[in-house]
Amino acid sequence: MVSKSKVLPKGISAAEFDKAVRELRAIVGDEHVLVDEEKLAPYRKIMMPVSEAQHELSASVMPDGVEQIQRVMKVANKYRVPVYPISTGKNLGYGSAAPVQRGQIVMDLRRMNRIIEVDAELCTALVEPGVTYQQLYDYLQEHKLPLWFSCPAPSAIAGPVGNMVDRGVGYTPYGEHFMFSCGMEVVLADGQVLRTGMGAMENSNTWQVFKWGYGPTLDGIFTQSNFGVVTKMGMWLMPAPPDFRPFCIQYPNETDITKIVEALRPLRIAMVIPNAVVIAHTLWEAPCTPVKRADYHTGPGAISDEAVKKIQADHNIGAWNVYAGLYGTKETNDANWKIIEAVAAGTGGKIITQEASKGSKALEYRFDLMKGKPNLGEFGLYNWRGGGGSIWFAPVSQAKGAETLKQMQMAKTILAKYGFDYVGEFIVGWRDMHHVIDLLYDRSKPEEMEKAYACYDELLHTFAKEGYGMYRANTAFAEKVAATYGPVKRDVEKRLKKALDPNNIIAPGRCGISL
Amino acid sequence: MYARRLAVCLGSVATLVVAGGAQAAWRDGGEVYDKVCRYCHEANVGPVLKGRALPTEYIQRVVRMGNRAMPAFRPSEIDDATLADVARRVSGSAAVAQE
Repeated sequence: MVSKSKVLPKGISAAEFDKAVRELRAIVGDEHVLVDEEKLAPYRKIMMPVSEAQHELSASVMPDGVEQIQRVMKVANKYRVPVYPISTGKNLGYGSAAPVQRGQIVMDLRRMNRIIEVDAELCTALVEPGVTYQQLYDYLQEHKLPLWFSCPAPSAIAGPVGNMVDRGVGYTPYGEHFMFSCGMEVVLADGQVLRTGMGAMENSNTWQVFKWGYGPTLDGIFTQSNFGVVTKMGMWLMPAPPDFRPFCIQYPNETDITKIVEALRPLRIAMVIPNAVVIAHTLWEAPCTPVKRADYHTGPGAISDEAVKKIQADHNIGAWNVYAGLYGTKETNDANWKIIEAVAAGTGGKIITQEASKGSKALEYRFDLMKGKPNLGEFGLYNWRGGGGSIWFAPVSQAKGAETLKQMQMAKTILAKYGFDYVGEFIVGWRDMHHVIDLLYDRSKPEEMEKAYACYDELLHTFAKEGYGMYRANTAFAEKVAATYGPVKRDVEKRLKKALDPNNIIAPGRCGISL
Repeated sequence: MYARRLAVCLGSVATLVVAGGAQAAWRDGGEVYDKVCRYCHEANVGPVLKGRALPTEYIQRVVRMGNRAMPAFRPSEIDDATLADVARRVSGSAAVAQE
């Protein structure tokens, strides 16, 4: 008997749940099914401004491979119990490892952590969901392979599959992770195994080199969705350049964002600067330096502009801090460096080179991320207010100066209304910006939690009214964010869901998709 | 030029590497500390843990529950036995030099 006063999947009786759990145990082994409330604690840890109860799981099941997942699907279909797949489960600020809806069984794929293949000539890798960036890094080091990957800031503990299926980003020239993925293997709700692209062909050796295959290219529908469980992913790796030259350019004024973006856009589009550049605000840099908020601001309300100015002066931080790199040979980088110097001089920016960065925590971790070296330096953000509250508010913007300034001012005004600080950065694509804002609050204070919820809600809807949508969102707001993209898109998603998962067993509610 | 240098750079290792095989597992608690905990707890993100003789039960509990800014870690990431080893090592370690 496992289900006394337990959290249960929606519409499932305790008796039926027990039966399902018994069958899951028979598939993966007793030790790989967790149902005790205490054992499930790590899955319950969330940073979102809603109660744990809202995202409480009923169980965790940890299959060790595709065949076990296929059998888990059978059980899920038989009892109509929803499973919520996670890979490394470090989706901090977006819902972490907790399911989108209360009562779902988390299907934890962390045990499936084989690096299946690295091809040093073609610069490709094929990995399972449980592989972490640290593991991949160690593997490349150990085998002396001069190949770089791109990773997000929680690199050491996060992994490529989970990050890619939520369409996360990194900071090297391969920073748009979904774009640099190539080939997926997916277990569908009916247990069939689909390989996308060239992987669908028997005896093919081009799964990781040509993305599209023949006919409709399906990879995209398995990202930010619940149409299948991704069990393998191919990715392109970057050859380590003979010369890597990271740098930071600091700007003194908040309104400088306009000229920064105008100056950078042509360099990005022409790929003079090839990597996913970051333009980070003072208050993103401060906690990673580290600077304590309490030393500059006490009492209620958002931190004042004067205090932010003082932080800049005291700790040599710009109002905006541009992080970018040149990747090539000494000769090509020398040539491009002249362009960087001219742009900095022309826009009133101060260049900090790698040599000059020594001793700065904030700069060191950035320079490491830009070459795909794992670290967790950016977790300093969570100490700005402390208390474990953080959600990413991440609207997409055009890479145009006036647009970025408008978004920044809109966000700052709304955040301040609720007493929160603007802690933001722009991650620069070729033509887009992921405008990433960390809504930081003290989750141990119920009143701050309520304000954080209301603040995100207002940010979301105010931005939507201006035509700005999220690129990614936390599970508590999945439904509301999906609604901003309109009814036709949602209807098509629902029809796909019905066709591929008629019993609604894979993560119903993810990105607002459910039957 | 660039292409030639890159080719030279890759030439020595230009062989197909097939990893495959067994799932990766932690060598011991020391490796977990180095590859996970240390990134925060010796880098001004989380508090320094070494040299404080923290009770092992406390360490294990915080790892499983998470604690405010600190994320939680699941048994699928760090199994019980390895976590116990991490806790023993951290609890019994000398202080790290202050930065």
